[in-house]
Amino acid sequence: MKPIFLPEVESHPRPSPTTDLIRAAQSAGTEYPQIWHLFAYRPQATANLGAFTHEIMRGDCPLPAGLRELIAAFTSYGNDCPF
Amino acid sequence: MAHIQLAVGLPGIRGLFAFRPETADPLCELAEILLHGPGTLSPAERELIATYVSAENDCYYCQNAHGAIAACHLDGNDRLVRDVKTDFEHAAISDKLKALLAIAGKVQSGGKNVRPGDVERARRQGATDQEIHDTVLIAAAFCMYNRYVDGLGTWAPPDPASYRERAQKVARDGYLPIPADVQAAQASRSQP
Repeated sequence: MKPIFLPEVESHPRPSPTTDLIRAAQSAGTEYPQIWHLFAYRPQATANLGAFTHEIMRGDCPLPAGLRELIAAFTSYGNDCPF
Repeated sequence: MAHIQLAVGLPGIRGLFAFRPETADPLCELAEILLHGPGTLSPAERELIATYVSAENDCYYCQNAHGAIAACHLDGNDRLVRDVKTDFEHAAISDKLKALLAIAGKVQSGGKNVRPGDVERARRQGATDQEIHDTVLIAAAFCMYNRYVDGLGTWAPPDPASYRERAQKVARDGYLPIPADVQAAQASRSQP
């Protein structure tokens, strides 16, 4: 995988569940989505993004979760973001 | 007139916070961390980044709300806020903030538009990785806030001066707790 723009972000993960995921993927030699580095760098901020995402994707709402994921996938496709 | 039924009298994102408390909490906490919490960029600099991105997204509510907060942090210098929105490269701000605003503008037009040269320029002006990281996250978050506010057609007070009173409170106290009038609207919604 190519390094991200900010080496300090990649090399200074704070203790967080995402940091454990990165370590596990690295020791297994598998590729992983680099958004994990962003989540691990600023867990205090990104925990709120995680809570927000969980609420809109899985929280109480008449739209089924599958349809909500389809909306997210369609928007990401429109934004040219493959991940 | 908003596209959905919102509490009367709560403009912009505040009506949306009242509509959906579960998403309001993390969005307010994120704003607090990014714009008001501890950081090496001043709250004025961070609010200017949020204001500039909101202006580029043509979000009237957000650019006036955060522009007024930025002005509070700048001893009422509305003119500097206006200069940053219209032509930040020639505004009376640091070269570092100009480089960070350039990155924020690239994020606004599309994340992939940020190129290594933009990051290099910010580093040359003394920006740390954390400052570049937070600039990108502020810009990305405000693209979301701006689209949330405009995508639901929320109402915004037309007079920019009317944003000042609330801006003074936010500049002083930050984004938490959720304001009493929003909490009251949340409570009245949740009653059967």
